[in-house]
Parts: sequence; C-alpha cells; structure tokens
Amino acid sequence: MLALKEKLTDRGDPLSIINNINSKSVAVKNLEKIYAGHNGKQVKAVDTVSLEIKPGEFMTLLGPSGCGKTTILRMIAGFETPTRGDIYIGSERVNSQTPDKRDTAMVFQSYALFPHLNIFENIAYGLKIKKLNKTVIKEKVEGILDLMGLNGMEGRAPNQLSGGQQQRIALARALVMEPSVLLFDEPLSNLDAKLRVYMRSEIRKIQQKIGITSIYVTHDQAEAMSMSDRVIVMNKGIVEQVGTPDEIYNKPASRFVADFIGVANILDAEVMAIAQKSITVKCMDHLFDVSTTLNLQAGDQIKIILRPEAVQIGEAGKIPVIVEESVFMGAYQDYKLVVNGQILMVIDYNPSQKTVFAVGDKAYLTINEANLHIVKG
Amino acid sequence: MSIIDRQLEEMKKVIRDPILLVTIIAVIISLIIFTLWPIYEVLVEGFLAKDGTFTLKYYQDVFRQSENMRVLGNTLLLGFVVSLFSTAIGFLFAYADAFIKIRFKRLFNVIAILPIVSPPFALAMAFIMLFGQRGFVTYSLLGIKDANIYGFAGLATVQVLAFFPTAYLVLAGLLKQIDPSYEEAARNMGASRWHIFKTVILPLVTPGIANSFLLVFIQTVADFGNAMVIGGNYTTLAAKVYLQAMGNYDIKGGTALATLLLMISVLMFVVQKYWVGGRSYVTVTGKPSRQRELINDPIISWIVGVPCALISLFILVLYILIPYGSFVNLWGIDFTPTLKHYGYVLSLGLKPILDTTYLALLSMPITGIMGMVIAFLIVRKQFIGRGMIEFTSMLSMAIPGTVIGMGYILAYNDEPLVLTGTATIIVLSFLFRNMPVGIRAGVASLQQIDPAIEEAAQDLGANSFKVFTSVTIPLISSAFFSGLVYSFVRSMTAISAVIFLVSASYNLLTVAIMSQVDVGRLGVAAAYSTVLIVIVLAVTGILKLLLGRMGIKINMQ
Repeated sequence: MLALKEKLTDRGDPLSIINNINSKSVAVKNLEKIYAGHNGKQVKAVDTVSLEIKPGEFMTLLGPSGCGKTTILRMIAGFETPTRGDIYIGSERVNSQTPDKRDTAMVFQSYALFPHLNIFENIAYGLKIKKLNKTVIKEKVEGILDLMGLNGMEGRAPNQLSGGQQQRIALARALVMEPSVLLFDEPLSNLDAKLRVYMRSEIRKIQQKIGITSIYVTHDQAEAMSMSDRVIVMNKGIVEQVGTPDEIYNKPASRFVADFIGVANILDAEVMAIAQKSITVKCMDHLFDVSTTLNLQAGDQIKIILRPEAVQIGEAGKIPVIVEESVFMGAYQDYKLVVNGQILMVIDYNPSQKTVFAVGDKAYLTINEANLHIVKG
Repeated sequence: MSIIDRQLEEMKKVIRDPILLVTIIAVIISLIIFTLWPIYEVLVEGFLAKDGTFTLKYYQDVFRQSENMRVLGNTLLLGFVVSLFSTAIGFLFAYADAFIKIRFKRLFNVIAILPIVSPPFALAMAFIMLFGQRGFVTYSLLGIKDANIYGFAGLATVQVLAFFPTAYLVLAGLLKQIDPSYEEAARNMGASRWHIFKTVILPLVTPGIANSFLLVFIQTVADFGNAMVIGGNYTTLAAKVYLQAMGNYDIKGGTALATLLLMISVLMFVVQKYWVGGRSYVTVTGKPSRQRELINDPIISWIVGVPCALISLFILVLYILIPYGSFVNLWGIDFTPTLKHYGYVLSLGLKPILDTTYLALLSMPITGIMGMVIAFLIVRKQFIGRGMIEFTSMLSMAIPGTVIGMGYILAYNDEPLVLTGTATIIVLSFLFRNMPVGIRAGVASLQQIDPAIEEAAQDLGANSFKVFTSVTIPLISSAFFSGLVYSFVRSMTAISAVIFLVSASYNLLTVAIMSQVDVGRLGVAAAYSTVLIVIVLAVTGILKLLLGRMGIKINMQ
C-alpha cells in the first residue's frame, strides 16, 4: 500500500504507461429493464431512467440492494440487454454490441480474477486478445503492476494474494485495457473497513490523474460521498436524485434520499404562509422561515429534514426538549430527544468540553433555519 | 408483456452474438435429429401398416396377447422389487459411509465403480458360474445336477447387486451434505440417536430415497444385458423388444413394445426429475460447516458394518470369478489352468476388441466437448429452446437402450440419412447416450463458478468462443475430463442400443461376449470380458496418470 502511495506522489508521471485513454461520455435514454420474475410476475428493475455522464466524470450509482443500480451498470457493460431505451458511449449507440465489442472495462465485486491464470496472465488477458506484441504486453503489465505497487507478483496465482492485492489486480486488469469508460461494481465491498477507506482514496486519485470516465456502483454512502463528482441516488428502479455529494446531503430531493444518506430527522410540518423569498412553516410547535424551490401552498403538510449535527443543544435556547436517551460515543454525545411529541436525534461533538445532559434532563435547542430543508410529505 | 415477448426479450442477447446463436442452433438441430427423431420413428412405426396406412393393430396386439401382458407384469414387478432392495442396501451403505466409523470404506468406492467399468452383464455371468447348471457352488460343491438359476430370483439378485451402487451414491451424497448441527441440536434437546434417525435424518433424505428408487427403477427396466443372460423364461420388456424385432423379424410388433417400455421409463424420469427432484431439503451448495463426528458405538458399527462387508465381499468374489474363469479349461468340470480361451480370442475375434476400442476412443472427445457446450448453455445462457435442450439431452439417459437402438435403425435406414452399418451410427449412439453424465458434471461444476469470471473475460474483449475455450473449459476441466473418461468407459461396456447397430463391418466386444455366453462358451466370454476390463482400466489409468500430472483430478461417480 505504501508503495502505491509513493508511486503516486513521488514519481514524475507514474501513469505514463496509461497514455492512450480517450475518455468518453456515457448516456442512457429512457432506459428500462423488466425481468420475468418467478410466478410469471414482471419485475421492473430499471424504470425509465435517463442519465448523462460527462467525459472524465466520476459518477456513482448509489442505492439499497435491488434498486436497479447494478442492472444499469451491467446494461452499460453489455451483460444485460435493455427492455427499452438506448445506451450511448460517446456518440455511438451501443445497444446491439456484445460486451467484448464495447470500450468499457469493469472491476467486479468478486474481482473475477481468472483462477487458472497467474497474475501476469490475468492482466495480459485482454491485451493478448487485442493482439499486441509480446514485448508491449510485458511492458504494460509490468508498468501497471509497478503503478499498483505489486511488482514481483507476476508469477503468483490469484488465491495467493490478499483481498486488497486481488482488488488492485482487478483494477490493473481493467485499467491496462485503457478503456473509454471504467465500470466498478461494488469493488470494495469484500475488503475490511480500513482497507476500504484507503482504497477509495487511491481509486479516486488514479481516476482523477488519468481523467477516465468512471461509473461506480455502491450501496455505501461513504464511498459515494468521498469519491464522486456526482451521485445518482436510486430506489426501486427510479432515479431519486442526481447531484453532487453536497447537494444530495444538504438538499435531498426526497424523503428517501434524506433518509438513505446519513442520519436525518424527518419532521412533520405544515406550511403556514408563503412569502416572496421564503415560506413560514410550523414544526415542533414553532414557526420557522425556510427557503425552498418547491411550489407549495399554505396548509400543505410537508416534511422537514434536519441533520442531527445541525442542531445546537444547550441550557438556553428557543425550543425546550426532554432527553430520552444520552449515549457517549467518544467523539460525540448521541441524544434522543422528545420535543412536542416528536422524536429528534441530535449529536453534539466534543462532549467532554460541554454540558452533557442525562436521561430525563430538560434542555434547549437552537436551530439555524438555513439548516432546515423541505421535502414533500 | 406476454410469455412470447419475455422470451424474445431473453433472445436479444443471443441474437446479437452470432457465435452463440450458431452453436445453439447446431445443438438443437443435432438433438432433434439424433434423439427426438429416432424416438418419433419408434412411436410412429407401430401405427403404420405395411402399406403405410394408419393402423392400431400392432398396439392392440401388444395388449391383446397374454404373453405381452405377462412380459409387462414381469418388468414392473422386477423393477419394483429390485428398486426396493437396491434402495435399502444402498441406504445401508450410504449410512455406513456417512455416519459410522468403519475401516473398509474405501472398498465401497471400488464396489461402486465395478459395475461401471465392466460389461453390463458381468455379474449375471459370474452368477451363472457360481450357481448355474455347472456352477461352482451348485454343481461342484453341492452336486446338484439340474440347478436352474435362470429366472426371476437370479435376475433380481444380479440386478440388485449391479444397481444398488446407484442408490448408494445418491444417498451418500445427500447424507454427507446434512449439516451435523441439526443432529447436535436434536441431541441437545434430549433426543436419542434412534429418535434423531427417525425424526431428523430420515425425513431429510426421504426425497433422496424416492429419487434413488426411481433411478434404479429406470435402470432395471432398461437393463438388457442381464435380462438376456440370466432372465431365462422370465422375459422383460427390454429383452422382448429385441427378441421380437431381431429374433422374430417383427419390427412393428417390436416398436409397439418399445413404445410401452419408453412410456414407463419416461414417466419415471419425469416424476424423478420434476416431482421428486425439486423436493430436496438438503442444500447442494457448498459443504456443511463441519465434519461429522462419526458414530463409534460397536453395536451400531456391527449391525450396519457386517451386512455391508458381506455384500461387498460377495460382489468382489463375483468379479474375480470372471478373470479366473477365463483361465480354466472347462468351468464347473475341469479347473485345469489354460490359456486356450485367449488363444481363441486372438485367432478368431480380435476385430471386436479393436473396433470397440477405436470407436470408443473416437466418440470420447466429441462427447466430452459437446457435453460441456451444452452444460455451458444450460447454466449460463438464457434463450428460447434452453428448456428443450436441457430436457432432451438429459432424456436420453432415461430412454432404454433397446428403444434408442431400434429408433436408430428405423430413422437412419432410408433417405435422407442412411447410416446403418457404418461406424458413424455407433459413434452417434455413444455420443448421445453418454453425454448426459458429462452434462450433469459440467452443470454441477459450472454452478460452483462465479459467472463474473466469464463476464470479466468477455468484458476484456473475448468473444463467446474465446471465453468458452480460454476460461470456461479450463475452469471445469475436471468435469470435462471426468466426462471424457466416463464416456469412454460407457462406450466400451454398452450393449443395449448398439446390439441393434453392429454389422459385419463393425462388431463390438459386448455383443461378442453375449453371443459366446449364448452358445455356452463361458470361458471365451470370460476371456473377452477380462480383455474388456483390462482395456478400460488401462485407458482410464493412463488418462488419470496424465491428468494427475497436469493437476487435474477426475471423478468417476
């Protein structure tokens, strides 16, 4: 791992062996995939999805299992055929191309290294099919192994490598093909927590240096947040929101997005009055002026999204609460509060320097209205 | 979306891939021509009068003649009795293998392999050598002058000994898959061993027991070799079809009987595959979490171990009799050692030995490759006709050899495809009869392999053909070579189908042995059988050795 880090930072241009990448955009238009489920019922895995991914962009498809994210990725790679809709890589419609004809390379969740081939042969597999000459292949394989910090592993069998090493071989095998688009299918889910954190920054660094279009499927929001230029949040085959990590966290388009990304208090509220720049809502028996792009009317029942860390708890403030649970988590104190019959999760960082409330205590909340975000009920 | 739409949906992937499409079409066409067409010919032939008009006469004859009804009754009774005893003995062996600490378990493997590597009627021959008119036990030891082993008792015993290994293998596989923690949980709740056996083990393997009963039933009903050699007057359908068609030159009467036989087998096959097959509680994915603590109780070990030991010993003795019998002057009368039977074989009948080995070797690679291709299509691809390929290719396992043999001579005797008397027809029958085992092995091992590995290859630019040759085949090489070896062995020992197909230009060993038994030259038959077993063991031994050097293990079961 260290070796990899050094390669990326110390050498002049460590990625010189990958010099031929022609990143392309990817677009899907009205994509739909219907499976024939058991008992004859149809399952709409992907429901009329349209997306555009710019050249060089790192786009993450994020969502719970079964949301259709992997199906979209596999349709882009060519392993699945769309029921309806079109897929473009660059300006070319690729629906009728088999995976071997598409200029994509995939890093699989299980790595899918060929168990009967050694590391050299694994990485060289696609290059041999391209019919490159032997010295070029050797140069490229050694170069990419060098880049991955795995030199000297050429002769090993995949099962002689650790999970992290296998992961990097899988990435090397895809990168060495210099594809126009790199596809990742939950590539880090089989690694332990620490290695996962490390690998996600490594993958992101390499991706940015090369500038390769990348589509990354994961159900791990931390991966999505830390790696992506933009994130597509999916649920039950439809796109809930497309946005930067900041947008999906702070301005979730739906209750689902708010709930899926991080921890969110989803509070009942009612629209009281509409003003020019903001609207007045009643929430937790208090009135707040909140700005929104939604088109609302007085009397609408809505939901307010409030992140637990966006609330200040103290001995004085606007909103009185009763502490129902109080758990010391080290970096923060985790509160479960009751306010006007609603439960509110609040976290307070660096608790050792602050007043810590115990179960049954009365406390007060201060809420900055800029932290309130409205979604439709 | 209608069913047709859904199927078209699945076809999209296939249609854009020409190599795959051509392969699928080729496989479907070959299955239609070489499996379905012959069966169709058998079914139809019995409905056509000599002048080609429709008639029910032959089928009416089947049911009208009391002789035929007796044969049908014989067949069903024999199937039932043999399946019952085979399953019981098979279960005993399987239980001993999976649960009990006994020493001679390795012998079980030998016992299970012997019926596969020897001619199908080897046990019947050995049985005659022991209990026949000039039998070692009956004549030499007990001095009985007119011992008659031919008939129900002899045939049923021989079949039980030949077919119980099938039940043993099925049941041992299941019993070994049962997670020992079930028993521990039951024991933890206070159940005794016997109670656990009754309430946990037995219910878990009930579908397996039904399964092995049906598998043995199919084998018994289709068994031609033993029925011919030791059946005597107790005629079964498999033998009757041949006798009627080839003995009485009544092809049409033969096909009507063959249809009846086919109905029984296919019915059992369908029940086995679709009704019982889907009911297993025991998962077949992976191995149980831990090794089972084997039962070390001396009483249980004796109760189960002694019958297993006795049966194994008896079977070994029977098989040893065959080479022994080939070296004595006149079995039952004069036990002086001699090589004269081998002299006879060398001077007169080397041709069947060479023909058989040549044809078996020729069909071996074709069977192996085609089996893997079909397994690959079944497991990995979605397309219209997939179900048909799966069903048809496995069906040929259930079709009695006599039926398919008859179908081949009916189908390939006239234009458009004239094959009778050629080597091709024999190779084809080997191919389509021996493929199912390779397919099953291929399917099982493909299901263990992450499909992403093949997808990765395709993603890196390999087309379907390249994926298959560079990734699929190497990954399932063990199943592939097991299929190869199995196909060779089965080709060497086949008789029921090929007895219809041999000709002056191509004669086969098993057929030659049977005709020697028929004329009473037991010594020559034993010599031929010994040669056959030696060739089988030599070829499989060499293959095993070569593959072992390449690090590939083959599994004959």
